[in-house]
Amino acid sequence: MLSGIDYVVVIAYLVGIMVLGLYFARFVRSADDFFLSGKSLPFWAVGMSIVATDISAMDFVGVSGQSYRFGMAVGNFDWLGSMPAMLLAAFIFIPYFWKAGLYTIPEYLGRRYNDHVRAVASLTWIVFFALDLGVLFWATAVMFKPLMGWDPWFSIIVTAIVVGLYTFFGGLTAVVMTDVVQMIIMFVGGFTVVVVGLYHAGGWSGLTDKIAAMGEAYQNHFKLILPADTKTPFPWTGILFGLTLVMSNAYMIGNQAIVQRCLATKSVWHAKASMLTGAFFKMFIPLLVMFPGLIAVATYPGLQDGDQAFPTLVKSLLPPGLRGLLFAGFLAGLMATIDSILNSTATLWTKDVYERFIKKDASDRHYMIVGQCATVILLIFGVITAPLSKSFPGIYVAIQTFLSFFQGPVFSILLLGMFWPRATQWGGLVGLVGGIGTSVSLYVVKDHLFTIEEPFLYISWWSFVVGVLLNVSTSLLTRPHSEERLSGLVCRLPRDLKGGSEVPAC
Amino acid sequence: MLNFDWLRGVSPLAAKAVFLGLFVLSGLLVTMIPKEYIYEGVESPRWWHNLKLWALGVLAIIFTIYSIF
Repeated sequence: MLSGIDYVVVIAYLVGIMVLGLYFARFVRSADDFFLSGKSLPFWAVGMSIVATDISAMDFVGVSGQSYRFGMAVGNFDWLGSMPAMLLAAFIFIPYFWKAGLYTIPEYLGRRYNDHVRAVASLTWIVFFALDLGVLFWATAVMFKPLMGWDPWFSIIVTAIVVGLYTFFGGLTAVVMTDVVQMIIMFVGGFTVVVVGLYHAGGWSGLTDKIAAMGEAYQNHFKLILPADTKTPFPWTGILFGLTLVMSNAYMIGNQAIVQRCLATKSVWHAKASMLTGAFFKMFIPLLVMFPGLIAVATYPGLQDGDQAFPTLVKSLLPPGLRGLLFAGFLAGLMATIDSILNSTATLWTKDVYERFIKKDASDRHYMIVGQCATVILLIFGVITAPLSKSFPGIYVAIQTFLSFFQGPVFSILLLGMFWPRATQWGGLVGLVGGIGTSVSLYVVKDHLFTIEEPFLYISWWSFVVGVLLNVSTSLLTRPHSEERLSGLVCRLPRDLKGGSEVPAC
Repeated sequence: MLNFDWLRGVSPLAAKAVFLGLFVLSGLLVTMIPKEYIYEGVESPRWWHNLKLWALGVLAIIFTIYSIF
């Protein structure tokens, strides 16, 4: 249980973040303000927000649990799994999307291919985000229960009210600006655990010596690159083909929650700079989420469950006051993810479904209200479905698996759509649906096909390859699009701008 | 084939060289980006607006990490 001073820290955090978020409500007057902050955000805020959105409390527990079992190789997900993709996004995709004046990634897919592709991509993200909300709310309740002694429903409703109020009134600006504070709190809390933990482990040399002395099973714990025949989920082949070439690009370029805030920056330079700022801060994430697992190997060897590594460190090493700070950091991570999901899902629903298929040509204010209503409905859905995590403990893994099903195929149609003018609308649709079908099929028979534990990296790669092949073959068999239709949608094709034209640099 | 069995003979050291090569290649591509594209959207460019420096800085950090581990 937390002590008195910890309660003060946590409650001050909750009140402070709500007041800060509500302050930004004064700047929201239109749909453009609500969904894209009126294109006014600075690069540093968006860069920090990308990191806060990407990392949640579950990463602290889950990643440190995996580093406890497998060692540093799990750090590849934040280093190799971000850096090259963020450079590609910063210099090619994001500026292109920004100049096109997009609100969502499916909107690009709809313009480049057709409305079917847009609907499939958008609805898939909406379903994923909506289900994820319930899991995140339950995770909040699970955190509150042992430390604050709060009933799960009370914790869920308090979190929903705080996040819901500022997301409803403040839109994306409130989400991004609260993310900035939340990222700082997360970093301070996370680094506290690492510094105190390293001190107890005897410093860096003490840590490496202790783990090296633990025998053959721990010899790879300080290696990022593991052999191709490792039984862990992280062979270098999977890291290269599945993670670096497909999953990371799909995540950084195709994930609405990440890309939307870059589209809300005040200029195309800020859009590029925001991704690079995010890449810089992402370099530190493995220190926060992976190192606690390594420290626990040295200080608390023999834990039955790797996921107990982080809680064990916190419980045994941190004094009162610092525990409250770390708990606030955990909460910040969860809330930053929840608010981003709420706003991005409301944007997907309003722009890709409501405005496109239900009510066209309504006023700007009308779409803003629809976005706000969608936020409330999603919030209620998230609260109601939160206890599902208790009934189905594997739901978090199931949702993440669901996400991995369509990352490869979505990236395949984004890549071909952007760089290959011959890709047609039917090629895109067949590539997307066929790629997702391939992922599901491979997953069903994974035990017979793959030799590593949880082969999601390989599944992403092969579904990407099948998506590309299906797109190319179907496109070659169907009628190509005219150059006018592709104007401004494919790299190196001029974009018509009110009679003039602009040649994209990519 | 699905498990990349044909790459099992490649040592982790050679694989590390592949990743380091990827970072170097990324750096080279970044240096080739036209200057006007880098400063697009900036009214009065200063040296710190040069996003190539930002990208190369982050690449240097990750190159160092992968060289050591």
